[in-house]
Amino acid sequence: MATRRQIQQANGVAEILQGSFMKSVIQKSSALSLVLAASFLGTGSVQAEGVLFWSKQANPPEEQQAMRENVLSGFEGEVDFQGSEPGPWLTRLQAEIKAGSGKIAVLGGLHGDFTTMGDDLVDLSSVDLGDSEMNGTFMELGKLGGGELKYMPWMQATYVMAANKKALEHLPEGADVMALSYDELIAWSKALAEKTGSPKFGFPAGPKGLKHRFFQGYLYPSYTNSMVTKFRSAEAETAWNAFKDLWTVTNPGSTGYDNMSEPLLSEEVWVAFDHTARLANAFNERPEDFIAFPAAAGPAGRGFMPVIAGIAIPSTAPDMDAAKALVAYLTNPATQIETLKATSFFPVVDVELPDDMPPAVKLSGAAIAAMSGSDDANPGLLPVGLGKLGGQFNAVYVDAFERIVLGGEDVKAVLDEQAEALKAVMEEAGAPCWAPDPASDGPCPVE
Amino acid sequence: MNMAVGSQGGFQPGKSLRRAWFILITVVLCLWVLLPIYLLFSNAFSTSSGVSAFPKGIVPPFSTESVGFFFRYSGVGKAFWSSIQVAVLTMIMSILIGAPAGYSLSRFDFRGKNLFRILILMTRAFPLPLLALPMAVMFIRVGLDDTILGLALVHTTLALPFAVLITYSLFSGIPIELEEAAWTLGCNRIQAFRKVIFPLVLPGITASAIFAFVISWNEVFAAAVLTIEHRTLPAFILQSLGVAPLHLKFAGGAVLVLPALIFIFLVRKYLFAMWGIANR
Repeated sequence: MATRRQIQQANGVAEILQGSFMKSVIQKSSALSLVLAASFLGTGSVQAEGVLFWSKQANPPEEQQAMRENVLSGFEGEVDFQGSEPGPWLTRLQAEIKAGSGKIAVLGGLHGDFTTMGDDLVDLSSVDLGDSEMNGTFMELGKLGGGELKYMPWMQATYVMAANKKALEHLPEGADVMALSYDELIAWSKALAEKTGSPKFGFPAGPKGLKHRFFQGYLYPSYTNSMVTKFRSAEAETAWNAFKDLWTVTNPGSTGYDNMSEPLLSEEVWVAFDHTARLANAFNERPEDFIAFPAAAGPAGRGFMPVIAGIAIPSTAPDMDAAKALVAYLTNPATQIETLKATSFFPVVDVELPDDMPPAVKLSGAAIAAMSGSDDANPGLLPVGLGKLGGQFNAVYVDAFERIVLGGEDVKAVLDEQAEALKAVMEEAGAPCWAPDPASDGPCPVE
Repeated sequence: MNMAVGSQGGFQPGKSLRRAWFILITVVLCLWVLLPIYLLFSNAFSTSSGVSAFPKGIVPPFSTESVGFFFRYSGVGKAFWSSIQVAVLTMIMSILIGAPAGYSLSRFDFRGKNLFRILILMTRAFPLPLLALPMAVMFIRVGLDDTILGLALVHTTLALPFAVLITYSLFSGIPIELEEAAWTLGCNRIQAFRKVIFPLVLPGITASAIFAFVISWNEVFAAAVLTIEHRTLPAFILQSLGVAPLHLKFAGGAVLVLPALIFIFLVRKYLFAMWGIANR
């Protein structure tokens, strides 16, 4: 008896392992197995759907939709535009490069994204730009310091200020909003906090906020006429102390803001600094209620930083000719204007802008023109030649901000420590200085 | 008489206090679940200015514009279909592999059983972003890249530990004597399983299948890296919601939550049945 049971047990186990139990489950759910079959069929019929445009830019749903419907619909072939977050964007690309074959035909990203991957990008010098006049400075940036054109400039943006019109009546006596100084901005923010009962200046210091660009391209150039060399100078101390002063009348919710459109629309914040694309929603939503104006000026001028997005082709692209055709298509003036409407990023080629532009484009366009055309304009370029150390470079500024402004540590002590970190980054990268720092032989020095 | 009233009066408050607590906790728990869903849907069906307005009216302005955006969004239908395929496939595979493993763990003693149980859990110890790169390279080389099956395999790996451990505890909760009784009455092992054990664990298996479905439905990173033409809905929408304006965040959230809600609603009786078993 016991033996028979043991045999039965053994048989049972074997049958279970062979899957008769599974069969019974599937029989009971024939609908499920239908789907199962369908999905296997689905996997069999994989085919290329045109040129895959793998982009980190134009990722918000409305921009993706506009890219597909308005910008790319004019291309002669099919384009599959896929917006992606930075993590999956890079991981997928790395996987394709490592595997030696892939589906990505064209990459969309920022200057800083491409600096780390020069070797895996195809030289684009041979792309026929037709009669598009490409901005020369940007073309230089696209070479990543070498001879080959590693990415084609695609579009540009920068950072400006935005204000609710209600805030204008509290402007300090004699201040011109189109040509503010940091002292006036601080006085204005203090007046707003006093008159309205709560701090109304807002700053994108959230986890995904672009705060580091403010310190690199706005605060430092405005006070020290430098981004790197004078990191721990007396002028830098003045700059941080001024920002600390501004922080006392900054909305404390700022450490959670990644994008200033929303706090502006909800009127938690009346005056804000952010990337033009991240302000566009507020401007488009209620163009009558907001103004855009240039960033403030300090003792060393009106620092500002242009942002360059580029398009590149990975060495694993399946159809090189189609990919190059798409790159050429994206740089032609008509496409550039459509791209501007879709993303609020400005053209990098010479174009005549038509009148039917969205409000965000008109508002920030005017502010950018006033900023770059001002007498004291002091443009600072995006970090050049840092390669994969870009993240560490940004961290130097973000850490300084967190320790000085949020942590309340001693300005000089923090700057001395962070300067060592900055020096280490510059020396490891061996990157020479870029504007506004004067050109250097060898790595950009930190005094 | 007086005594009786007095004692009744002394008893009542205690009972009604307990009742009040019970009601209060029920209400809090319901609000805990329902309030976010209410806010999600009321904002999803609001205008963009209504979403950022403060203070809010009791009845927010109604508009289908934001939700409509996602229904017109090119590729949503396809992504939705991919998501369902991947989730169903994940569900089936994780049960087909997980339930026998759970059964063996509960019914048989073998060397290294405890180690095996810990190893199952270990598969959850490695974050996906870390695994995604080598996995994607391998998938591209093998030809599984950008397929429903490939992604479902990854999701099955994620869901498997739960499937094994849930079914393990289910089978352990059913006395072996029931099986033995069936054997003595002439069933062989398979018949005993089908006629006695399977009906008892079916609700629990369904619950663990739902769990696998939800795990697959919610997974974004692997889906975003491993699929392009067969993008799942979360990879397609959720990825871009972080940078979307507030009203589209709500609408996109609602679009993502709704199918999962409907699915759970459809299978709710199995879920309740499983809790019945757990009580026994």
